[in-house]
Amino acid sequence: MAVIRLSGPDARSITKKIFRSRQPLSHRKAVIGELIDRNGFIDTAISTFFAAPDSYTGEDLVEISLHGNPYLCDLVIDACNEFGAHLAGPGEFTQRAFLNGKMDLSQAEGVADLIYSSSRAAQKISANLLKGSFGREIKRLKSQLVEALSIIELEMDFMDEEIDHTPLEKLQNKIAAIIKKTDGLIKSYEVGKILREGIFCPIIGPPNSGKSSLFNAFLQEERVIVSPRPGTTRDYIEEVVRIGNYQIRFMDTAGLRKSTDEIESRGIQKTRVLMLSANTILYVIDSSKPLKGLPDLPSHLLKKTLFILNKSDLTDSKNLRRLNEIFGKYPHLSCSALKNEGVHRIAKTIIEQLEAKIHNFGDTHIISRQRHKNALISTKKFLKLAWRNLHNKSAPEIIAIDLREALGGLDIILGKTENEDILNHIFSHFCIGK
Amino acid sequence: MFHVKLDFENIVIGGGHAGVEAALASARMGISTLLITMEKSAIARMSCNPAIGGLAKGHLVAEIDALGGEMAKVTDKTGIQFRMLNRSKGRAVWSPRAQADKLQYSLEMISLVVAQKNLEILEDTAIGIITEHNQIVAVQTKKCGFITCKTAIITAGTFLNGLIHIGVKQKRGGRLGEKSALGITESLNAVGIKSGRLKTGTPPRIHRDSINFDQLTPQYGDKNPKPFSFQTKNFNPINIPCYITYTNPGTHAILFSGLDRSPLYTGRIKGVGPRYCPSIEDKIVRFRERTSHQIFLEPEWEDSYQYYVNGFSTSLPVDIQEKGLHSIRGLENAEIIKPGYAIEYDFFPSYQLKRTLETKVIGGLYLAGQVNGTSGYEEAAALGLVAGINAALKNRDEQPFFLTRSEAYIGVLIDDLITKSPTEPYRMFTSSAEYRLLLRFDNADQRLSHYGHRFGLIQHNQFLLSQCRKHLIEKSIRYLHQTSLSPSVINPRLADKLENPVKSGISLFKLLCRPNIHLADLYPLLPESFLRTFSKLDGLAEQVELDVKYHGYIQRQINLIKTQSRQEQIRLPDNIEYLKINSITKEAREKLNLMRPETIAQAGRIPGVSPADITALLILLKKQGVSRETE
Repeated sequence: MAVIRLSGPDARSITKKIFRSRQPLSHRKAVIGELIDRNGFIDTAISTFFAAPDSYTGEDLVEISLHGNPYLCDLVIDACNEFGAHLAGPGEFTQRAFLNGKMDLSQAEGVADLIYSSSRAAQKISANLLKGSFGREIKRLKSQLVEALSIIELEMDFMDEEIDHTPLEKLQNKIAAIIKKTDGLIKSYEVGKILREGIFCPIIGPPNSGKSSLFNAFLQEERVIVSPRPGTTRDYIEEVVRIGNYQIRFMDTAGLRKSTDEIESRGIQKTRVLMLSANTILYVIDSSKPLKGLPDLPSHLLKKTLFILNKSDLTDSKNLRRLNEIFGKYPHLSCSALKNEGVHRIAKTIIEQLEAKIHNFGDTHIISRQRHKNALISTKKFLKLAWRNLHNKSAPEIIAIDLREALGGLDIILGKTENEDILNHIFSHFCIGK
Repeated sequence: MFHVKLDFENIVIGGGHAGVEAALASARMGISTLLITMEKSAIARMSCNPAIGGLAKGHLVAEIDALGGEMAKVTDKTGIQFRMLNRSKGRAVWSPRAQADKLQYSLEMISLVVAQKNLEILEDTAIGIITEHNQIVAVQTKKCGFITCKTAIITAGTFLNGLIHIGVKQKRGGRLGEKSALGITESLNAVGIKSGRLKTGTPPRIHRDSINFDQLTPQYGDKNPKPFSFQTKNFNPINIPCYITYTNPGTHAILFSGLDRSPLYTGRIKGVGPRYCPSIEDKIVRFRERTSHQIFLEPEWEDSYQYYVNGFSTSLPVDIQEKGLHSIRGLENAEIIKPGYAIEYDFFPSYQLKRTLETKVIGGLYLAGQVNGTSGYEEAAALGLVAGINAALKNRDEQPFFLTRSEAYIGVLIDDLITKSPTEPYRMFTSSAEYRLLLRFDNADQRLSHYGHRFGLIQHNQFLLSQCRKHLIEKSIRYLHQTSLSPSVINPRLADKLENPVKSGISLFKLLCRPNIHLADLYPLLPESFLRTFSKLDGLAEQVELDVKYHGYIQRQINLIKTQSRQEQIRLPDNIEYLKINSITKEAREKLNLMRPETIAQAGRIPGVSPADITALLILLKKQGVSRETE
């Protein structure tokens, strides 16, 4: 089980947008319903609403209990963020609880120390992070943004001086370049997360295609077995296998088939959600049986699917030819899970795919924290606004607001920007003063 | 000595731009006030450039006006050229600037001061303050001895231990040809107020008849200028030009040759100067790649024989100044009346002030103007006015007055002073105001005249005029919101402007939000009474349009203010022992201990204090059971 907690005046309204239920959210009542995002169903969950001030934090608060799968949790958190929630800072729930008078004075010092130590710890972690290439990259991004902002501010605060005017187009290009960089960093999160948490490979396929055999084969083949991930639900079995520098998370799933049985079709829906969050989908096919055609997969899933033609020992040449016709254009591998043939090659292929992706990022640093990703998403949003306002020839004081908010995103990672930073840039780069 | 009284409620030390505003406000609020000046005829003298306003400074002047100060009105009355700057930018950063008539400006102020009831002028030098139990009780002067008071405002400008540099020569003085003031700094130091040194400079003044005007480009003001004051009527000023010329590589070579005798580059000057107002030698050293710098020749008054060489601020030796000027086109024969010079003076780092400008250490003692580490006539006048009002309120035992960052540039100015405590002369920039869209030149009266009115510094009918404007703007916007047009009415008009048609009814408000639609485009669709109202109040239509166009951004700023306002109201007690709070970082502890902010919001704006530190402070406050209340 996992619990996602939303606190603040918008807790209920945000929940309503991501949680569909027949019953309304009322104080202290657990309600069953479905979590949804833009792509549809995520999971069945139970939500409990606590009205202010009778909650842990003293604010409106919603607790959403769902299956403890980290990928599902990420989807739900992303959905909440999209509607205006933000990730809690270190000790923030406790801090709010205290500030809203939910704790007595004897607890006060404890809270202060907790925040001190957790924010210090967070600071230390980010200080360490910032020492590396990631820090340099973010700092470079920030200094480019400060430069763009100071060009705008220069035009407003020193127009009566003899300054070199930057053409609009040049500024637009500067901002476009920053957007591109920001975007690259945001996109790198996908890989960053894989490096941190492992390559997520759900094993999908029709019943009896040999998914569980393949799953077990991976575990035996690699012999290095990491204990089951806590929070894994009983619906799915997940195991982590470490190969070289990488971890692969294999997950055995319920067989895909059309079903009228409600409980089973829920399970299948959930499998579809897992496919969404998968890095590589291992789609297992029983190659000993005749196959009508390519499994029906939407293109965005097809892109990351590796077809596994299992039971290669039991197939005949006619079937093989047919399979080649169907899968020729798509990545596919043959194996026999039971006889442990070709299993190692599958793992190798998965890793090769990841390495190719990492290679694609070239010099761009790869980010691996959701907090950083969210900060960069906010930065990108305001940069795009600034770009559009520049394009529409809006007033510079409007564009400055956008750029300052964009800077605010990076401030979450680097600490606050002082107005002095902008003036410093102006004074050191432009000859100001009569 | 004469018939001077022994006691005043409020004493203002210094008759510059801060001093006159402080003295006038305090006297007008019914407080018996004494203005001590070293030279009566030097009251409101402009030490440097003959101009008032400019970017962000023009905003300050309008705010001074709305609060009941004099700078705007006197500028409107005596100015000799007016321009609205930043016209090509958005309205929030439009700012007026005027060429001033230095003589008339000063004379006008002197006559106001002399005629003012409750205000006496003493030509003397203050040499110290007398305190008892951390309260000011008297001021000591050179000639008159001791004069008691309940409050005193020090507005000594650059006069405290002023030291003038020209080349390697040094001379004591508050301005060239005027004595410096000794004693005040030492007297403040003795009661625990710290001081530091700053530097500023001014260019040479040259004789009109030695300038070859044929070689120069004139620059006039606007044809239909706007006044600074919302109270000015029938504004029709004269329009006297400035002239533009440029330095050249030859000039720069001459200046370089004098650097070995520059007090800046030989380390004689210890004080920190403003980076936004560098001397010409600074400019050529720091920006070597530039082969030319712009120079403005500005007349110092109407029909002036004396011209101010703007852009040529310098403390190089006189012979270098002269040779340098002679290398510039149009100035080949320039005759120097007064050389440029640098001046070092004492200031009191501004973290020692409350937001009322009262010192934290000595009750009843206020500091305003350049002694706070600012530069500029406008900044000085704004500070003087706020200090004057507060000294008067203190005498009346009334609640003090302060402005927040979201209300006024003056609020930003004072908050920056007390939370950032600048170490170089502080100048107002529009970029320092985070609520720039709300703090406009054109709405200063609507934002602030209710304060001026409350203090009795703004006439009732003037106050009603600004309320009337505010009300009409709100009403117009409501109308635009509530009035919808059908596609059949609006689409042909949109087609004319190459705009996308609408599918269903649309409000006038939403139409006006489109970048290419202006209020004037909607005139044919508005009731006639609207147009009549717009035509009666100058600029009203523009204000309405602006409020609509920026609506989303204005709303964002207002929301930001709301989230901040809770913190603005949480007071920090004076007796917190910051150094003993273990739950905040060492850096924050030291900063807070030095700056001793008055509110949580101020604490949060101090560089080096993090949000986590603020939370820890809030927790501590709660633990101590300190109630949340406003001042």
